[in-house]
Parts: sequence; structure tokens; C-alpha cells
Amino acid sequence: MLFPTLAFGIFFLFVYFTAWSLDRENGRRKLFLLLASWFFYAQWDWRFVGLLIASAVLNWAVGALIARQPGAKKAWLVGLGVAVNLLILGFFKYYGFFIEQAGDLLMRFGWERDLPLLQIVLPVGISFFTFQGISYVVDVHRGKTPPAKSLLDVMLLMSFFTHLVAGPIVRASDLLPQFDRTPRLTRAVATYGLLLIVWGLFKKTVIASELSVNLVDPVFFDPSAYGAVDIAAAVYGYAVQIYCDFSAYSDMAIGLAALLGYSFPRNFDQPYRASSLQSFWRRWHISLSSWLRDYLYVPLGGGRKGLVASCINVFITMLLGGLWHGAAWTFLAWGALHGGVQVIERLGRAAFGDRKVVPTVIGVLVTFHIVCLGWILFRAESFGLAVAMLEGLGRVGPVTVLTPLLLTLIVGGMAMHWLPPRAIEGVAERLKTAPSLTLGLLVGAAFLLIEAVRPDGVAPFIYFQF
Amino acid sequence: MTDERDPPEIPLEPFPVHQPESPFPPLYESLPPGPEDPPSDWIQTADAHDLAGDHSTERENRLAALSRFAFPSDLPLDDDGVAARDRRWTTRTVVVISAFLLVFNAVSPLNWSRQQAPGWLQGTVQQMSEVWVAQLAVFGVDMPRQGVREAWMAAQDARFVGQEPVSTTP
Repeated sequence: MLFPTLAFGIFFLFVYFTAWSLDRENGRRKLFLLLASWFFYAQWDWRFVGLLIASAVLNWAVGALIARQPGAKKAWLVGLGVAVNLLILGFFKYYGFFIEQAGDLLMRFGWERDLPLLQIVLPVGISFFTFQGISYVVDVHRGKTPPAKSLLDVMLLMSFFTHLVAGPIVRASDLLPQFDRTPRLTRAVATYGLLLIVWGLFKKTVIASELSVNLVDPVFFDPSAYGAVDIAAAVYGYAVQIYCDFSAYSDMAIGLAALLGYSFPRNFDQPYRASSLQSFWRRWHISLSSWLRDYLYVPLGGGRKGLVASCINVFITMLLGGLWHGAAWTFLAWGALHGGVQVIERLGRAAFGDRKVVPTVIGVLVTFHIVCLGWILFRAESFGLAVAMLEGLGRVGPVTVLTPLLLTLIVGGMAMHWLPPRAIEGVAERLKTAPSLTLGLLVGAAFLLIEAVRPDGVAPFIYFQF
Repeated sequence: MTDERDPPEIPLEPFPVHQPESPFPPLYESLPPGPEDPPSDWIQTADAHDLAGDHSTERENRLAALSRFAFPSDLPLDDDGVAARDRRWTTRTVVVISAFLLVFNAVSPLNWSRQQAPGWLQGTVQQMSEVWVAQLAVFGVDMPRQGVREAWMAAQDARFVGQEPVSTTP
């Protein structure tokens, strides 16, 4: 059940009215939201609802035990909790990849074996809810958040349908306190939520879908058939597509949660305005990058052990961040590219200090093109296709797929990074005083406009596969 | 009568001035210092006498007074009241959006029903949607949507000068 579908619209209306009719009974409200979330998740594969429940029970139990144990045992428990979460993630997401690689390695040494290959279906959103589980266990251990008051809270934290399948990764310290009381809904928050949903729907169904179907997919499928202009347009188009796709999901998730009275953290902040890769990762998928920082980079030692150690740590963090996105060498290479460039940036800062060596405009352009280079690795299904894309950038040929509309969408998708940073909040502040009829008609007309131009059917969000 | 001399007379005029010394120390010295008075909220420019000043001479508009009497304003809402009011406002907005789309976007349920496996629900939704779409077309209500769609498709078909028609399957 995808967000931009009629089925989800009806589902959400039912959830909205029922949840607010239970506003005086917070416990039942949470129970209803949990059941609705399981129903939502079961639309993909009902069997994985059991995995979701098991994962929540495990993390709740470990969190409760950590809170009751003395110091030394806590470390063991948190280690156990993290290990089991990673085991679940590793089995479903990386088992096939590692078995395949092991088979190849053995064959090279002449030890060919029939390794137990399994056809494992990847549960949607597993990377997101296991990361949430890990953050809960570690935060309880660090004392950043108290253990949840009930199993219901942990289950809802991990299963809440608005962020379940593609984030943002909402931490326990953000959401558990909100579960303690019946949420409040203000006009400002409701208006903001509605605008985010409309904006997300526009980015996903109009910009991302159009670019994907008519430009990116055909060019990445067979780069050798296109000239340099089409290939460059496809690379820029993919940069816009992935931003509009993923940030749209985050916007809609935040907007839907807001309409139910819950507040999620911001996940994107005009990432292509970044003038360095470090800045890019403070603006792109913020909930993941801050997760990697707090639960991987800092435990590795962070920047506390000197320049060399911090460079190694940031490189390892980005490498594993790449692997998190998918079990493929192209994702590892993507992570290595981001890690490597950040190491160079750190060395540059160590050599030149805070002096501004490169003008901001140049920094933004260079950073954007490094990110685009990374997107080629990220999107291409193999290294061969990625190399073919790079080779095609030097090939002269007619422009066949790029059209004025697609060019406008690419430019528009980039231009939205130079809107005022909190534009939607500003519009919501102005519209919150409007009568409900006026706002309803405005939002309804916007939905109708989007419906009129969107293609038939909706492609799944890119981040569902992660 | 006695032979003793009268004690020296305490002067009574105009009032007694002699006060025997108290055997106890003054009370305020034995107590800890109390809290200081809060800062005065006295506003120099305001004066209670102002209340009866200029306003007393102004007469309220009779119509306004009558309306105030007939339709007294509510007491200010507490937090729960504000929350409930905002929730009602949001719910009305959501209802307006849903009704608007139900009326003007009947194509969406029609498309949905065409993508489903045949069944009672699918058949019912399809028939109702078809009738509704046809009725909207009679009144021309679907024209704005249709116009936007045609403009979008024209934009999709547009090409750069000298460019050949697009081919996504080389």
C-alpha cells in the first residue's frame, strides 16, 4: 500500500477519524494505531508482521533488562541486543550476497562448493526498523532515554506505519515521550502536515515519476545507445529524481504523523546546496546520517583520537553506510567515494584551518558533481553499466530522450533547493488562519491538479528496497 | 488620710508622656527578617480615578450594547478547549478535501477499480464511478481537469527545435 494511492487515502481517513475519536483514551488509541500499522505492513507480506513483533519484543526485553542490571552486565546486554538486531538484518539482507561472494572466492582457489543458497525475500523496511531497535537499546544503555513504560510503546515505536517502510528513522527519545500523553493538534501543525503531503505528492508523482519513466530508466538501462547530452541529463535527472522521491516520502510521513498529532524530525534540508560532502550529509537523509554518527562513528572513536583515526573512522562509517543501502559492490563503492572525499576534506581542513580556500559557488558545484558521480554508482546495476555511463559522457550523439519538459523538471527540481529554507512552514503560518472551507478547497484543488498530470500507476519509492 | 506625702504627680496634660520601659526586647529584633515586599505593580500613569473619567461621558452605541447583550461572547477557552477547536477545524478541512476529491476526481476510483481483480466491490465501484464520470462530463465539470491533462501531455510531446520524436526504446 503506497502513500500516493486511493487505497492508502481511504485507509488513512479511517485511521484519522478513529484515532481522534479515541483521543481521551491514549492506551486504546496507541493500540489502534499499532493494529492499523500491522494491517498496513501486512499489505506487503503478512508473514513479516511476525518478524516485526519479534523484533519489538526482543528490543523491549533487552531495554527492560538493561534498566534493571548493574553496570557490567549492561554492556553484555546491549552487545547482545545490537548483535541480534544485526543478525536479523544480516540474514534477510546480506545472506545471499555474502554466500555468493564466498562461493566466488572458493572457486578462485579451486575449492568449488555448493553453498546453501536460499531465496530470501527481503522484508520491506527491515533496515529502518532494525536501526530503530538498535538505537532504542543503545539509548537506554547510555541513559539518553528511559526504558519504555510498556511493550505497546516499543511496538508502536518500531511499527508506526508513517515511518515503517522508508523512514525517517525516528528515535525512541523523540517518539516515546510523545506516546506518554494524548497528542494535541494545532492549526499550524495540521496546516503544515497537509502542505507537506501535497508537496510530497507533487515531488513523487509528478517530478520523480516523469523523470524516472521518460529519462533515467531508459538511459541507465542501455547507456551505449545515447549521446553525451542525454547521459548527462539522465545523471542530473537521477539526482533530482532520487531527491524528489525520497524527500517526498519523508515529507508525506512527517505530514501524516502531524495529522495524527505526532512530530517527526526533519529528514532533508536542501542537500544540493551543500558546499562540501560533510555539509551534504548534514542535509541528506539526516536521520540516517545522525544515526551513523551516533551509533557507529562515535563508538569507533570519532574524532577524539587524532586526525588519522578520525579519517579512518569516517571512511569506515561511510563504507558501512553504503553497504546499508544494499548488498552490492556498487553501493560499497558509493560509500567509499563519499568516505574518501570526506577524508580529503578533513585533511584539507587540517592543513588550511577554517580559511575559506574555495569560493562557496565553486564548492557547491564541485560537491554536487561528486554527489552525481556517486549517484551513477548508486543507480547502475553493475560496475559495467556505471563505466558505460561515464564513457558515454564523452560521446557525441543526437539528443533523443531529453525534452523541454524533462529539462524544466530537472531545473525546477534543482531550483527548489534555493527556495527559502523554511518555505512550507512560512506558508502554513499564513494559511492556518484561513477558514477550514477555504483551506480544504485549496488543498483539494492542489490534489486534483497533481492527479491530472501524474502518470497512471505509481512506482514504488526508491528507498523501499533498502 | 495619711501623713505620707503624695507621690510625684504624673503629668496628665495634655496626654501621658511617660511610658515604663518594657522588660522584653523589641519584638522585631528577635525575628528573622521577613521576605521583601514584591515590586509594586503600581502604574504611575494609571489612576483609579481615571475609570470614572472620560469613559463615563462616552455612551456605548446602543446597537453594539444590544448585540453584546443578545450574543454574549464566550469565555476564553482553556487548553483542552483550544485543542478541541483546532481538531474540529482540521477535521472539517479533511472532510472538505475528501468531499471535493470525491466529486471532482471520480476518475481516480474508476482507474482503481479497473486495476483490481473482478469482484463485487470492484464491480460496484466501477459502475458508480462510470456513471458519476459521465454525469460530470454532461455538466462540463471535468473540463478543467481534462484541460490540465491535455496541456501536460502536449508538454510531454514537445521537442527541441530540430529534435526527432522521442524514442525511449532505442
